[in-house]
Amino acid sequence: MCDSGAVTIFLSDEFIHNLIEFRREGDEKEPQRSRPRVLVVDDQKLVADTVGEILEAAGFDVVTAYSGHTALEEANGFRPDVLLSDVLMPRMNGVELAIAIQKMHPAARILLFSGQAGISEIMLEAQKQGHEFELIAKPIHPAKLIEHLKKK
Amino acid sequence: MPLHHGRSRTAHKMGRRAAKTQFDPRLHFAPIVEFSEDPIISQDLDRRIVSWNSAATHVFGYEAEEMMGQPILPTVPPDLHQEHEDFHTRLSAGERIDQHETVRVRKSGESFIAAVTIFPVTNDTGQIIGATWIVRDISYRKKSDETRFRLAAIVDSADDAIVSKDLNGIVKSWNEGARRMFGYTADEMVGQSILRIIPEELYYEEEEILRKLRAGERVDHYETTRRKKNGETIEVSVTISPIKDEKSRVIGASKIARDISDRKRIERLLVQSEKLAATGRMAAALAHEINNPLESVINLVFLARQDTQAKGKAHTYLLTAEEELERVSHIARQALGYYRDTGAPIEVYLHALIENVLTVYNSKIVSAGISVNARFNDLQKIVVSRGEMLQVLSNVIANAVDAMQAAGGVLHISTRNLISSAGDGIQIIIRDSGTGISSDHLPKVFDPFFTTKGNLGTGIGLWVAKQLVDARGGQISIASSSEKEKSGTTVTIFLPFAVPARQAEERPE
Repeated sequence: MCDSGAVTIFLSDEFIHNLIEFRREGDEKEPQRSRPRVLVVDDQKLVADTVGEILEAAGFDVVTAYSGHTALEEANGFRPDVLLSDVLMPRMNGVELAIAIQKMHPAARILLFSGQAGISEIMLEAQKQGHEFELIAKPIHPAKLIEHLKKK
Repeated sequence: MPLHHGRSRTAHKMGRRAAKTQFDPRLHFAPIVEFSEDPIISQDLDRRIVSWNSAATHVFGYEAEEMMGQPILPTVPPDLHQEHEDFHTRLSAGERIDQHETVRVRKSGESFIAAVTIFPVTNDTGQIIGATWIVRDISYRKKSDETRFRLAAIVDSADDAIVSKDLNGIVKSWNEGARRMFGYTADEMVGQSILRIIPEELYYEEEEILRKLRAGERVDHYETTRRKKNGETIEVSVTISPIKDEKSRVIGASKIARDISDRKRIERLLVQSEKLAATGRMAAALAHEINNPLESVINLVFLARQDTQAKGKAHTYLLTAEEELERVSHIARQALGYYRDTGAPIEVYLHALIENVLTVYNSKIVSAGISVNARFNDLQKIVVSRGEMLQVLSNVIANAVDAMQAAGGVLHISTRNLISSAGDGIQIIIRDSGTGISSDHLPKVFDPFFTTKGNLGTGIGLWVAKQLVDARGGQISIASSSEKEKSGTTVTIFLPFAVPARQAEERPE
């Protein structure tokens, strides 16, 4: 990523042309554009695994992680379209993760998945910083979750 | 011994002895006058003092020598000289003057209130030769009377009930405050036992109080219940003090009772709200613990079902399991999840939210035979927290559906813009033709934990709805009838367009 305003890079036309070609090829190489990539994060392993399995069967490409840090590592290579993450997690909470993912992949949709169907300090803090994340309450029926993900 | 007629020898001897010592009562009078506690003054026809006892010296300050032969007038204040003349006129006519209240002056110049008794003195032939005055200094009595009257007035005008009783619990005095508090007049209570205003189950208290009193102890701010004339009970704080005589023996008690029902009511409300807050905190803690495993189980059952044969037993069981889990989830969400949704307020069409809720309840509505009549005229979007309003609408519509569970009915929902004194906004009316709410339940519907649905109700649906609507600056009200043929409930919600400033700074519990 370029830090805008810091460095000016002169690129030759050839270089740019090659870059675009490379990107296009990369796109064509991708098998199904229609299989959205979902990064499922929850420190409760059972929740993450079952959700992951359900979403895979429903036509999503899923990677599960059990902590914010692992999720970020995975996100690098995986480039998720959707982040579906628990909020209350040790060390790095769901909001911190969401903010980080949004920086990495601004186009990614963020869905926070909470067992505490209401307020937490964490969410309010995020709001104050101008972040608006969708919130889904646990427990949710799988069919409804799938529907929600497929919308928008 | 020879017998004498009429007298024995002893009697004879006594008679002779008596003749020698002539009984002169006047010899006894002198000390009586001299040692009397009241001033006794005698005057002759010229109104000159002929006798002046030591009490007169004590009260007036003049020595006997000073006063003998002098007129009595100096002891009379100038403005009462006429009265003095009148006395003499009456005395000359042979009249007595009894306990007349007047004013006298001491040698020091100090005047004092006195009660005078004056009578003419006559000689053997009945001629008036003078007069005798008994002048009683009653200034002290007057002062203590005044004090007593003032205290009585204070007792009577006090707001609190002030009652005195003897050691047998018999009421001796009953003030106006006691009449107002208990309903009994003084006539009805004086001479009666204090037990009249004590509920039977608390009689033992009276014994305990009397025991303490006999030991000379005070009872301070004792909170208890008493009974009024009309049978109602009243909560009071009582202070009881022993009444002692001049020898410090306890002869009775005075009780001051203060009505504390208001304070008690506020205390109970505080306790209740503290309980609610504690429950809320507990619910928040529980929510997380319950919702996660629930999520997992729902997922597992779902996955398992996908793996079974569509018509097999396992499939059916798992389907049922899924339904039950949905029920548990619903309860968990309602009972534990009534905290505010952090969803930031956004602009929505309320009718869209209503349609949302109707979709959720669609199967219930259809199976109960309820027809929905919706008229949406809310032409403007309104800023609300989506999650919160969904909760409100869901709770109200769920109640409407439940009310029509048995016999079906019509669910009318309407929305429209409303211009009101509380500001412009949107009004939602949700009306059902269900069983209705009885008039004695109706005032309590917004109370937490109040439900008419027995074990199936959590009692917090409407309470939560009201909390959320109020916080949004809106109003929610309910009207209902449980009369046959006309039964039904109407819930009206008004949400102003303007968002209250407080909402921006709402802190979580």
